[in-house]
Amino acid sequence: MAIKTKRFISSRKSCSCSMPGVWRAVAYCEGVVVIFHSPKACAHVARTMDINAQYRTIADGRREDVGPVPLLASQLEEKHSIFGGVERLEACIAYAVQEYAPECLVIANSCVAGVIGDDVESVARRAEELYKLPVLSLDCCGFLDGEYYQGYYGITKLLVDRFLQPLPRKAGQVLLLGDNGGPWGHYAQEVTRLLNAMGVKVLGQFPGYMPFKELPKVATAEAIIVLGGRGQTHIGLSTIAKLLQDKLGIPYLAEYPVGWENTKKWLVDVGRLLGREQEAARVLAEEQKLFANRLQDYLKVTSKKKTVLCIGRLLQYFHPEAVLTTIRLLQLDLMGVVLLNAYDPKEKQKMVQELGKHPELRLYSAEEGEALLEEAELVLTTHELQNKQIKQIFLPMLPRVGTRGELDFMELIYRRLCSRIKGGLSYV
Amino acid sequence: MSKLGAGNWGDVCKRVDTCALTGAAAFVAGIPGTEILVNGPLWCYFYALRYLEHGANGMAQRFHGSQPDNTAVVYGSEKYILAALKRLQKEGSKPELLFIESSCSMSLIGDDLNGIAAKAGLKCPYVTMDCGGLLGGFVEGYTKAALCVLDKCLDLHAQPQERVINILGQTDFYLHGRDDTEEMVRLLCKAGYRLQAVPGSGSSLEQLRHLGNAQLNIVTNEELGLPLAEYLQKRCGTPYILAGLPYGIAGTQRWLEGIAKAMPAPKLADVYAEAESVEEYVTSLLNDARCQWGDLWADRIIISGPPTQALCLGETVRGEWVDTSELWVCCQRQLPHTAPKAYCQAADVIYVSGERELPWGDMAQFKGSLLLLGSSSESSLLYRQGRTDFINCNIAFPANEEIFLTNQPLVGLEGSKQLVQKLWNAYIRLCIQKQGEV
Repeated sequence: MAIKTKRFISSRKSCSCSMPGVWRAVAYCEGVVVIFHSPKACAHVARTMDINAQYRTIADGRREDVGPVPLLASQLEEKHSIFGGVERLEACIAYAVQEYAPECLVIANSCVAGVIGDDVESVARRAEELYKLPVLSLDCCGFLDGEYYQGYYGITKLLVDRFLQPLPRKAGQVLLLGDNGGPWGHYAQEVTRLLNAMGVKVLGQFPGYMPFKELPKVATAEAIIVLGGRGQTHIGLSTIAKLLQDKLGIPYLAEYPVGWENTKKWLVDVGRLLGREQEAARVLAEEQKLFANRLQDYLKVTSKKKTVLCIGRLLQYFHPEAVLTTIRLLQLDLMGVVLLNAYDPKEKQKMVQELGKHPELRLYSAEEGEALLEEAELVLTTHELQNKQIKQIFLPMLPRVGTRGELDFMELIYRRLCSRIKGGLSYV
Repeated sequence: MSKLGAGNWGDVCKRVDTCALTGAAAFVAGIPGTEILVNGPLWCYFYALRYLEHGANGMAQRFHGSQPDNTAVVYGSEKYILAALKRLQKEGSKPELLFIESSCSMSLIGDDLNGIAAKAGLKCPYVTMDCGGLLGGFVEGYTKAALCVLDKCLDLHAQPQERVINILGQTDFYLHGRDDTEEMVRLLCKAGYRLQAVPGSGSSLEQLRHLGNAQLNIVTNEELGLPLAEYLQKRCGTPYILAGLPYGIAGTQRWLEGIAKAMPAPKLADVYAEAESVEEYVTSLLNDARCQWGDLWADRIIISGPPTQALCLGETVRGEWVDTSELWVCCQRQLPHTAPKAYCQAADVIYVSGERELPWGDMAQFKGSLLLLGSSSESSLLYRQGRTDFINCNIAFPANEEIFLTNQPLVGLEGSKQLVQKLWNAYIRLCIQKQGEV
């Protein structure tokens, strides 16, 4: 019998919605109000994301000290599918202006608005003239002609185009570009720690986390550090970074410090970008020492432990190199790599080709892999598996970065192997 | 000025609800042996699934998605639905009822769900429904799905039988919803009633088929149960009573008395005897706790949740459990029929999302002691204002601060013990957390 995942995901495109992306691009920019031109429920999804992110921050021992900007929905109902929702949107804008006195309005379009065919762009232009304030909207309707990142990057680009102008740059301060849980999230915290260790300050995090009034300050950064990722994250953020470079003359680094090898390279490249090679070398040496000490502790437990890697995520979102490096560093005995039944043939071939760079790896299908799991002491997996008897570690879409991110991952593997409790899933 | 112009828009980040897609699935998922197929984008499906997974185990094996891509709004979603149905058949799925619901955008393109289901040659009974956010939130989805399912299965020839009741307005997908259902069923049966069914909370399709056997329908959560009660009155002639929810010991007795007025309960004294025993037990232990920790007092109590729940709880919290200067009750939506005061006279202020918003933004200025009975949505607002020094007790989803492994009814006599225990333990933890601050 084949290995079964807990949840079945078959979509290859249209996996997400552009509206939360629009919202996240300005979610903590004081002075902005966001309107979803949508049924009310779509905005509740954004609120659910917001709550979950906040509790994740709390679980990491940090506290979000500011809340998101007001989020309204035009509350489209069935009748608007016949008569259109433009009037509803206009009334919602009027309410937002009166109630919150925003410095900028941002409108996200739903798939419903797209199907109905509401001309939101015209509404935004009229509102801008009427209320004398910027009103941004995007020609991207829910999941119809884009996904989360189209919304996120679309609004970010509008912010750059409309509100940022070149200013004298200040040495020793950089801008973080991207989201990944915001300033309270692990990514920004770790990158900030490493930059501070080099004597570099973080000016702010763009988009999404700078008050609207302070957006022009973006142009004063010495450099931009992209909070990178895989796939669309990398492509989109690199495009925005390039846009900022072209418009404001600010150089950028768009590398992804996930895994130990990438972290080392990232430190060297940041040093080069900022002309602080010596500081970077010093920090790297300190990090290496910290890393080596901890690794020695882990190896006592992790060495030769039978491990299976289960992969079902597309190559554009999950590059196996970093986790294979971790497995090698921890001297785990990788019994095999199982490709879960979540791929179409084309995507599966891409992953097989990538894994083929490591000829020593033994690849198994989900059908063949079931027996393998019986022997494994640990399973690292991109999808939660139904099998309750095995110890699983979930490999997240957004893995932790930097030295601490890699050590956190190793620590989790170490603890799971120390554990005498059978089964269960752990997240890092 | 229109109602909306008068301020019904509000900041969604200060409210709690889901999509009708979730509410509809919640009703059907409350019937054992059913499965649900959402014809809608992966995003909408996934967030509905994540919500439902908090209320019932194994939802991912019963709640499926057709996961169409964006071209479906042009070419239709038939191929995606058929593929999903084929996959379910291949996996050996044999539900007692398959519920197929379309999301808002898929509903707009006008795919004939019944026709597609017929084309698939399903071997199980099925019900289809256009759903999604255009319909509304959890409540609208729940009630529409309930009526669709009853239209399909209700036996109109059923005859009312002596002392048989239905409980209407329960869902497994309110926090501790199934536990509450079981406690109410226990109390009603102990009082001498015979239960026919609790739609949406554990009763089988066969039990639902014979809802007409009841002599009386008892509506608990009015926002969920009233449309069903009106439907059953029309179709089967069954009278109903808006009973609300039985919080607290005295509250439970009042609740039973109200029902007994509509239909006498032969063994009411048995429940009263249990209530007396529970009261003695709780009072004795609380007197002891007071010797150590003092009285349970809050300068302000805020209760926020589904409307019937928040209002009924408000009445009991102030009347039986905690003393306070002011009680604010926040209903996360309007009640369909009854004025809020009918359920709760103890509140100083009653807020209703969409009509009159609770001023969360002003909470930072409030320096007094605070008790919150709500969800993680409300507590998250307080955390962001730097307040963690409040007594917190979740009564609604989302409930990120807690895990729930045991049965924990909030209603009835068992629920009374449970809630008093939670409140006191939260208060004691707060005392320990704040030591040295005086």
